[in-house]
Amino acid sequence: MVEKVGAEEFLVNMGPQHPSTHGVCRLLLKMDGEVIVDVVPYVGYLHRSMEKIAENRTYLQYMPLTDRIDYVSAMFCNHVFCLAVEKLAQIQVPERAEYIRVTMDELNRIASHLIWLGTFALDLGAITPFLYCFREREKILDLLEMVSGQRMTFNYMRFGGVSKDLPFEFIPKAKEFVQYFKPRVDEYEDILTNNPIFLGRTKGVGILEKKTAIDYSVTGPNLRATGLRWDLRKEEPYSIYDRFEFDIPAGTKSDVWDRYMVRIQEMRQANRIVEQALESIPEGEIKTKTPTVFRPPKGEVYARIESTRGEMGFYIVSDGSTIPYRVKLRTASFSNLAVLPLMSRGWKIADIVAIFASLDVIMPDVDR
Amino acid sequence: MSIKTMTKEEITKTFQDKFPNKIEEFPFVGVDAAFKVDKDLILEVCKFAKETPELSFDLLACLSCVDYIEHMELVYNLFSFTHKHKIAIKTSLPRDGEIDSVTPVWNAANWHEREIAELFGMTFRNHPDPRPILLPEDWNEGYPMRKDWEGKDFVRLPKK
Repeated sequence: MVEKVGAEEFLVNMGPQHPSTHGVCRLLLKMDGEVIVDVVPYVGYLHRSMEKIAENRTYLQYMPLTDRIDYVSAMFCNHVFCLAVEKLAQIQVPERAEYIRVTMDELNRIASHLIWLGTFALDLGAITPFLYCFREREKILDLLEMVSGQRMTFNYMRFGGVSKDLPFEFIPKAKEFVQYFKPRVDEYEDILTNNPIFLGRTKGVGILEKKTAIDYSVTGPNLRATGLRWDLRKEEPYSIYDRFEFDIPAGTKSDVWDRYMVRIQEMRQANRIVEQALESIPEGEIKTKTPTVFRPPKGEVYARIESTRGEMGFYIVSDGSTIPYRVKLRTASFSNLAVLPLMSRGWKIADIVAIFASLDVIMPDVDR
Repeated sequence: MSIKTMTKEEITKTFQDKFPNKIEEFPFVGVDAAFKVDKDLILEVCKFAKETPELSFDLLACLSCVDYIEHMELVYNLFSFTHKHKIAIKTSLPRDGEIDSVTPVWNAANWHEREIAELFGMTFRNHPDPRPILLPEDWNEGYPMRKDWEGKDFVRLPKK
């Protein structure tokens, strides 16, 4: 494909080190003047062979590595690994641990969407939302550090529950954060949503049809922006999501603006879930006892959750020993990145920046 | 189309009616039904799974490859948005084997098959774009995800 360059076309390298590629991703752009004819993504700069390492560590030794699959939303990676092993070994999780897991998940969802919003607005030229979003994210990271001791890669969940109980000042501080965060989303919307420059750069840009999205296995907010109101928390409720009331936002025209709106609404809904969980958290144990030398039974399992970028799944093959035989990580960004060439033909370079940022792809997820 | 989630017996019966004596069930936690097919039938089975209205498996959730030293297995996890049932299909093929690519059925398989081809050493016939994806272009040290691959600093834990 790249060999056949027409008479007036040329190749531009949007290299792995670039402020707008959200990580190390190389895009080879085939351009005709200022219009893009084709985009070829080259990935693999952050390949750390997570799947190969999994065949050489025990189950519990692998838990800190799952954090690093998607370090921006690390609680989800921990959670899906625990879900898969608990399904295989049929371990029950106590009530209090489930409420704690849901609270941590949704706080992490807000934190991840804040990073996305800050960098997305920064790519388009709006510098103020970047600092506002990181100010809120600092408060969430304080809460998560109170619980697990870490700001970014938590290593918090264990098979059968969570590793440490909530300190006594967590619930009042978290309730304070929930009330503080509600008007903040309105503040971000004030700056961006009806701004004519923002609308000019995002309305009608980078359209993805619903059929194409399903064909390419795009999941998460990108799929919801195409109009399919699909969320694994409502369709296949894992953990205790069926006890909470929340809405699923969906878009209509599936352009960049729709994807932005879906994520803003998701932040509001995640805040709602945290509020409900903090009201009704029960007392009790935080972890069922599992044997020290943990050997799940022989078999295969596939478990998936709705993480911030889409569906994240773990396929684990166990041969009855302490070390898994095969762990396959199905990450959301790997499939989401494959639609980038389709969405960007015919647009200009400035639009590529907007489209790439709206997909919310993160490179450790793609390369593992 | 109305939602009609099928049970394990109904799904297995639908597949067995269309492909008699070629479907073999096996246990798999987390899906409604799971069965093994022969590797030459995989493209037909996947087309049937996607296009039949009662099944309509339109999402290829995960395509993985497992290396059992004498043979390798490919596992396809399929899911349906309309009817909300899920299955897993498995085929078994020898090492360095060839199999048809399912890219004509789901375009999602494109990148997944590229990754399997370079990490495990399998060839996919009729794949539209067989280039390496994760490893560098000048990689010539074998197929890393195979069980007998010896890297320079790879030290194995003792199995217990």
